[in-house]
Amino acid sequence: MPSSQAPPAGHTALDPTAVRPDIADARIVRVTPREVRATLERLRAEGFTMLLDIGAVDYPGREPARFDVVYHLMQLPLQPASVEAIGAPERARVLCGVAEDAASVPSVADLWPSADWAEREIFDLYGIAFDGHPDLRRIQMPDDWEGYPLRKDYPLRGPARERTPRPSFALKSNVAAGTPASGKTAAALQRQIAQARGRSEFHGAGDPAAAAQSAKQPGGTLTAGDAKPEQLAQQPVNTKTEKNTP
Amino acid sequence: MTTASVAPESDGGYNVDVVGRTDNSMVLSMGPQHPSTHGVLQIITEIEGEIVTKASPEIGYLHTGIEKSAENLFWSQASTVIERMDYLSPLTNALCYYLAVEKLLGIDAQIPVRAQRIRVLVSELSRIASHCVWLGTGGIDLGALTGFFYAFDVRERILDMFEMSGGARMHPNYIRIGGLAQDLPAGFLERLDAFIEMFEPRMRDIRRLLQKNPILQDRMVDIGIISPEDAVAWSLTGPCLRATGIAYDVRKATPYSGYERYAFDVPVRTEGDAYARFLVRLDEMDEAMRIIKQVRKELDEPGPWQIPDTKFAPPPKETIALSMEALIHHFKLVSESFRVPAGDVYQAVEGPRGELGYYVVSNGDNRPWRVRTRPPSLYNLQVLKKIALGELIADMVVMIGSLDPVFGEVDR
Repeated sequence: MPSSQAPPAGHTALDPTAVRPDIADARIVRVTPREVRATLERLRAEGFTMLLDIGAVDYPGREPARFDVVYHLMQLPLQPASVEAIGAPERARVLCGVAEDAASVPSVADLWPSADWAEREIFDLYGIAFDGHPDLRRIQMPDDWEGYPLRKDYPLRGPARERTPRPSFALKSNVAAGTPASGKTAAALQRQIAQARGRSEFHGAGDPAAAAQSAKQPGGTLTAGDAKPEQLAQQPVNTKTEKNTP
Repeated sequence: MTTASVAPESDGGYNVDVVGRTDNSMVLSMGPQHPSTHGVLQIITEIEGEIVTKASPEIGYLHTGIEKSAENLFWSQASTVIERMDYLSPLTNALCYYLAVEKLLGIDAQIPVRAQRIRVLVSELSRIASHCVWLGTGGIDLGALTGFFYAFDVRERILDMFEMSGGARMHPNYIRIGGLAQDLPAGFLERLDAFIEMFEPRMRDIRRLLQKNPILQDRMVDIGIISPEDAVAWSLTGPCLRATGIAYDVRKATPYSGYERYAFDVPVRTEGDAYARFLVRLDEMDEAMRIIKQVRKELDEPGPWQIPDTKFAPPPKETIALSMEALIHHFKLVSESFRVPAGDVYQAVEGPRGELGYYVVSNGDNRPWRVRTRPPSLYNLQVLKKIALGELIADMVVMIGSLDPVFGEVDR
């Protein structure tokens, strides 16, 4: 499982909304941030009284608009109405492409009060600002959070934890491939593997005192005898391979 | 901080001037550990005496990045996290997500009839189970402890049935791509019959206990009134919208999974207060049972419960040891799942809280590019900012309970 998704390659579509299959589930309007407010006002006057949802999608690499802000609208009467009077209300989907460098869209919180939280959420998770929003601040993440988690270039487990691969993944891919991600991580992984195999070749090899100390502390901390990152990078990691090669 | 004049933006971003008030108002933070907030909701309220002059709900305490997780899982794996959004009716979430994926795959017309019937059955059972939690906990908020046990007994029987069908009580993951995880197990229908048998007398008990209760009526009538215009402007759906008189129900407006074949009414009230929402939900439980009874009659007829195309649905387990092709398909499904043609789709279902929508985008890969949920609770809860104004602080719990938010869904 990749921790962050690479931009689509080859068989995948850069802009899926442009090649959508024949699913006629709504009236679809594509606009730029400059037109979006006028479009939404016009649709609202046409009877699309309910703003169902505002979502956003990130298409890294798509030019000129990296993001899509997606408005879902529906026609509903503003007074009590029966099931028959409502029938099958018409839906509309407004896709507003937003460029990365000028990631801002006019707010519609004055047209629909419900847009307040939806726009705050997009600001929080995608970093798209909404001009004229009454109270634009983070809503899901803590106020002092850095980064925009739903962007595709934001690592799945967060930037801080990304440097420490999960041990199960590390054993299979990172270590066996002989490409430690970073020095400190590699040393920790070597120690873990050595312990799992009941050996101590990575624990201060050439320094018996350090080896004895780390043997006492199975979960031991990094000691002076531990291999240096640059040594590890050269050293063959898979001991089995080492035996087989003459 | 020694001076009394503190800029509003410097007090943690709540836009509430806590220090330096000269009038008689005060700021009260309710939650996020308050037992009546149904999860982890914090409401920064400004009150004058006992009257609320401003209420700003603060959400996000349960944010777990479900939408981000779903983007990193296979199409068929994503439903495990998606079921955790509305954890009181997980199967409704899974149903909506899979309906969207099936539309993208173009197999939505091939879903076997029996699978559709069972999907309707578990949706309606979920609705009853979810309303039972609302009924029980909402009653506790008002001091009516007894109703809780009656309601949760009903819910337990439904969860027992879910455990039989999917193997787990809370998150059965029973609905799968192209159908179901398995057919209804032996003994399920007997248990369903027993449930149908006990439900109506039990609902009569609950209604006798709560509906005409004068204390409950005193607490709920004319509290948190929402007008039809406000309900539409604030994007309310589900019982909160129908309590204002607008009979919008996704099952009637854009039917899915064969809902058009069943006779049922959409309960509507026009008062728009907490008591109207209470009555609408109680009536909905009866209507759900009406649908379940109609589905029950059709379930004696056996039939396939998943599409025969083993590129999407796993081949039957017993064929894997015998057929090379089945083994290959099984291996491919488990190791790299299937690819979904590029495109985007919005699918809505009527969840217990309102229109639950999924905007799913595929870029042609074996993982969803984006799974955006339209959480009904998020929008229903937001109206608290408006309806709490001018009400007593003690009625805040009534209003929260009557909006029935689920925080797994609000925060996702």
